[in-house]
Amino acid sequence: MKLYRIAARNIRRNKRRSVLSCTAIAAAVMGIVFFSAYLKGMQGDLKKNLVTYYTGEIRVQHSDYERYDYLNPLHLRIESFRELVREIETHEAVSLVSPRIGFPAAVYRDEETHHAWGVGVDFDVEREFQDLDSHLMEGRVPDEGRNEALLGVGLAKEIGVGTGDKITVMTTTMRRGTNAVTFLVTGLVRLPVGELNGAWILAPLDRVQRLVRMGDSVSEILIKLEDGASAEKTARELEADLGTEQAKELTFRTWQEGNTSYGFIKMAGMVYNFISLFFFVLASTVIVNTTMMVVFERVREIGTIGALGMTRGEIVRLFFLEALYLGVIGSGIGVALGIGITIPLTFTGIDLSSALQGVSFEVSNRIYPSVNPGLTVLAFVYSVAVAGLASLIPSGRAARIEPSEALRSI
Amino acid sequence: MKRWVIAALVLTFIPSSLFAVSAEEIVRKLEENTVVETSRVDGAMIIRDRFGTKKSSFISYSRGTDDMLVEFTSVEEEGMKILRTSDELYLFFPEAEETIRMQGAALKESVIGSDMSYEDMTGGKGLLSTYRVTLEGTEEVEGHSCYRVSMKAKSGNVPYYRQTMWIDTTLFIYWRVHKFSRSGKLLKNITIKEIREVSGRHVPVRMVLEDTIKGNSSTDFIVRDMKIDIPLDAGLFSLEELSW
Repeated sequence: MKLYRIAARNIRRNKRRSVLSCTAIAAAVMGIVFFSAYLKGMQGDLKKNLVTYYTGEIRVQHSDYERYDYLNPLHLRIESFRELVREIETHEAVSLVSPRIGFPAAVYRDEETHHAWGVGVDFDVEREFQDLDSHLMEGRVPDEGRNEALLGVGLAKEIGVGTGDKITVMTTTMRRGTNAVTFLVTGLVRLPVGELNGAWILAPLDRVQRLVRMGDSVSEILIKLEDGASAEKTARELEADLGTEQAKELTFRTWQEGNTSYGFIKMAGMVYNFISLFFFVLASTVIVNTTMMVVFERVREIGTIGALGMTRGEIVRLFFLEALYLGVIGSGIGVALGIGITIPLTFTGIDLSSALQGVSFEVSNRIYPSVNPGLTVLAFVYSVAVAGLASLIPSGRAARIEPSEALRSI
Repeated sequence: MKRWVIAALVLTFIPSSLFAVSAEEIVRKLEENTVVETSRVDGAMIIRDRFGTKKSSFISYSRGTDDMLVEFTSVEEEGMKILRTSDELYLFFPEAEETIRMQGAALKESVIGSDMSYEDMTGGKGLLSTYRVTLEGTEEVEGHSCYRVSMKAKSGNVPYYRQTMWIDTTLFIYWRVHKFSRSGKLLKNITIKEIREVSGRHVPVRMVLEDTIKGNSSTDFIVRDMKIDIPLDAGLFSLEELSW
């Protein structure tokens, strides 16, 4: 009888033992498949949010801006930005260009002060850049040239205003003076990131320029690229090609640079890989223990088949095949369960709003896991390999026992 | 002869403090010198920080210790006004449809980026009603003989729990002030650089204020012209006038 048939029969003979081994392998693989999907979803979400709301795929600022970022140094600005925007738009990899001014805002309403973050934007560009229309809960986008603003739903709720109400916003001007303006709230937006919902005021760029007395300049330009374009390559090309004198004072930073949240996720990825390794080691331990238990339970059987003429090599190969089958079955179940849990969540998402409350993190309140095919296949192959290899030592030891001695054992 | 000897002996042993001025008297004289019925000041601020220097100009009106109106005339702050009445502080901006009442934590913010906070503009209560004062001795400051007077707040409801003032022994104006937190940390440092006589009073016309928490910054206050005890419109210190 072929060894592979014997191995398959042996697995069926002691179901309890086989189920235990398969369960250990399946649990480890399922966990790895799910967590890799979750992490992939989070990484994708973080990139999308960073690119859309915080940095673009490429962020253009004055070269000293980041150094004094915590002071919101509006005087470190991009002058003649319209000419620069036109030049950037000529690059084949560039999809959208968004000039912006960010400023800390104190909102006064009913003699209470609420702290917020104002962003002056070109709404003609921003409608597409942020897909604003899909996030607009009520009202309309502000018109250029008017003291109008959109509020995040969280901020509106905190202040106690809605569409049609007015808010007075005070801020520091470019030359560290103070100025205030009253905006009409034309609409409310529900952005994916909870932090932004609770803080953002979106107003027309020209009105914000007037409020902070910046003239015709902006504090940053965010760039989105065509699908598949390299941010690093494009940033370096833009830096090299731009002819304006001012371009020499500017930095072109990709979204991965200078952002601690993305660095955190990358670090989390490394931690996750370590955790995966731990799971594998744990699963391997269970497999090894189970296999050893199987082998030592069957010493008499090994003696019997040895006495019947099976060679040591055949005995080792037999146990190897049994472990391989258990590995394939367990890993297959684990992958199926992992994918089975992940797929519904790719549609419904995982609600993190409670967990992220009060946390400043550029991740959406709802994460949509995404199956990581590469890691899923790796988890399957690795588990099968570990299961198989884990059987070699105990089966090799058992095969070296003399049949007569094995038959005498209990 | 015997009477003269007895008088000399008595005078020798009378405690010298009976002849010295008290801390309360020093502070009272200081306030008599600084508090006026009305005033109009044409002034400027030169604000220095890590990013450079900025100059702002203003015209301020005051009435007694409670009412003050500041109108900024420099381009950067064009149209901005600050009104103080009793314990309330209001800001007006031309493009804001409401006046902003500054209160709570907002009072600690800097006035147009200077080393002076909105909290520094509040008060109006007399020093003696707010602080317990102690005369610590005399010292020379900027070449002037001064009383060093320390002050400790009677309650916690003040911007600065402790202050030390160096008050001219002759003119009864201060040449230097240190303002401290409750824990004793130095928060503000004020130095008078120049005084001038206006309508019989000695008034500071150049003063340097440093916010030690901000670090690397200072603000020069300059009085270009000052008029004291002039007639002022009764409605000048009203919210209606603020938005006019």
